[in-house]
Amino acid sequence: MIDTQSNAAYYSDMVGWILHLLGLPGVGRFWQVAIYGLVGVAAGLALLLVRISNAASYLSNAPETCMNCHVMTDAYASWQRGSHGRVTVCNDCHVPHDNILSKSAFKAMDGARHSTIFMLRKEPQVMHLSSGAVPVIQQNCVRCHSDQFQMIRLSDSTQQTCWTCHQNIHGDVHGLSASPRELRPALPQAGIDLKKSGE
Amino acid sequence: MKKIIKTKFADNNGQPLRLPLWVGIGLAMLLAAAIVALGLMSVSIMERRWEAQRPILVASEIGQWESDNAKWGENYPRQYERYLMTQITDTQTKFGGSVPRDYLDDDPMQVILFAGMGFSKDYLQGRGHYYALEDVTHTKRLATPFQAATCWTCKSSDVPRVMHEMGIKEFYASNFYDLKDQMTHAIGCLDCHDPATMKLRISRPGLKEAFTAQGKDIAQATHQEMRSLVCAQCHVEYYFAKEPKNYLTLPWHNGMGVEGMIAYFDRIDFADYTHPISKTPVIKAQHPDYELYSKGIHAYRNVSCADCHMPYRSEGGVKFTDHHIQSPLLNISNSCAVCHRWSEDEIRTRVESIQTTVANALLKAEEAIVQAHFDIAAAMQANVADEELAPLRKLLRHAQFRWDYISASNGRGFHAPQEAMRILGDSVNQAQQVRVMAARLLAKAGITDAPAYPDISTRQKAFDVNQAFIGNTPIRLIK
Repeated sequence: MIDTQSNAAYYSDMVGWILHLLGLPGVGRFWQVAIYGLVGVAAGLALLLVRISNAASYLSNAPETCMNCHVMTDAYASWQRGSHGRVTVCNDCHVPHDNILSKSAFKAMDGARHSTIFMLRKEPQVMHLSSGAVPVIQQNCVRCHSDQFQMIRLSDSTQQTCWTCHQNIHGDVHGLSASPRELRPALPQAGIDLKKSGE
Repeated sequence: MKKIIKTKFADNNGQPLRLPLWVGIGLAMLLAAAIVALGLMSVSIMERRWEAQRPILVASEIGQWESDNAKWGENYPRQYERYLMTQITDTQTKFGGSVPRDYLDDDPMQVILFAGMGFSKDYLQGRGHYYALEDVTHTKRLATPFQAATCWTCKSSDVPRVMHEMGIKEFYASNFYDLKDQMTHAIGCLDCHDPATMKLRISRPGLKEAFTAQGKDIAQATHQEMRSLVCAQCHVEYYFAKEPKNYLTLPWHNGMGVEGMIAYFDRIDFADYTHPISKTPVIKAQHPDYELYSKGIHAYRNVSCADCHMPYRSEGGVKFTDHHIQSPLLNISNSCAVCHRWSEDEIRTRVESIQTTVANALLKAEEAIVQAHFDIAAAMQANVADEELAPLRKLLRHAQFRWDYISASNGRGFHAPQEAMRILGDSVNQAQQVRVMAARLLAKAGITDAPAYPDISTRQKAFDVNQAFIGNTPIRLIK
């Protein structure tokens, strides 16, 4: 049996309890000011980071988002000129599409891993698909090409992937050689210049 | 249900709840750490964007004749840093790499083939560009009295300046040791780049003149062609003409193929040395890398030297050409695998099997040519006249140049495998023709037994055989 009255009292007590703690009772004026000052600094920096990292763009499907991280410029260039450049964007193949939760979770996991590697300057010269990415992409091939019978049979195999044979998805030339300097697309605008809007 | 909190904001004793001081300090510390992390992340993002977008910063002006690569390195630190890696001398592939392997120890037959010339004494795999200057002054091949300043041409970035000051003809005609003090920096930036624009440019006259001799204009070359042609300034076949004195010349007048070169060398009656065993006028091949490459599938598909030997490299937001020039087998995933999407192991196995095929054919050709030299020597010992031996010597000269064309080329034939095997097939065939002709001449002189071929199983034994022939005390080959 639920005692609604005492429950309500309990929660109102909780709110009061938290409000009481937020006043940092007994900590001393100096530390109270210091902590709130630091909270302010952290919040400001977090906002700045949201702006300069184009954080909002990660919620979208725009392929330019992947180029925020400069190492993906060549993948972007080769995708654009490959067989799928006119019909798909990065996310169509590289993140799962079974439901919004797994899509977001995959994006978050991959994003966290990529940004960590990039920030530590540990990015490899040649990028390969991670073991987690392979089944996701394979499922996405089937998602669109499911009317092609052979394709579906193949997709059950653990040995073969669609791109074992269909190698031109990202164009004929892979990796860093995919885009000579002259043809490299520019980085997406970020809000570093306050007069310009971020994308 | 029991109430958890009896009195608002108070403990069980009715005292108002107070946080201990360490909680406050701890909170402040945690926040400080978070701020540092956020700040680092922001800085990293801004730095990486700046890296990728900034124009090239020219820290110091580079002079027209700047031969000091370190000076260029102030403006182009990444390229310079990678260039410095040509100092590495311990990389090894099946047939190449930067390790100074000794071809004569590995293969004593070459001691016989180069009898009487420098290559029979000292024949090492060349080290990286960084050592060009050091190595040319140390090789036993360049002992006095050989003194052509022409040898500096491909060794130092000071050459364009000195040539400009002296004149090209005068440069080549000088004494090697007289110019030694002027050669201060090894092959580097100035040899391929225009210091004002960084564009690729041809700094050595030999290649320009060879284009002109073929009725072509090298100034019309595209950027992609230049990515090979800057290498072709040195990685080609050349010889020192007699007139003008020691003038560096590419034998491309009848085309870049091996037949065209042989026709040209025959026409001008050129030989690098007379073989002491068979008295054959031999042409020593330099390193016709560009010529052989131009017959291969990669050249056909417009793939340049730099595409495989200097592939792109990325560092953060920056992409640049890797100036650590090396065997693509040491960097397969960035060179071959850009187009050939197989595993590194598969690619290496395929390349090595092509090279092994060529290497085996090279050995077969050497065997035939070495024996042909001895066969002619045997005919000489049987007092066969020089006029009768002349066609044999000419054929053997062609056979040995064909073999050397592939042997002296870098890459063990990989630059054009089918062309390499075609040339080696012709080489073996010609050498065996010489042997048949020699056998007939010997038979005519009444000798039907095979010559007693001397033991050349080690470098020293082969060298001693050479010395015997050079010293006019030839080993008796016939009974």
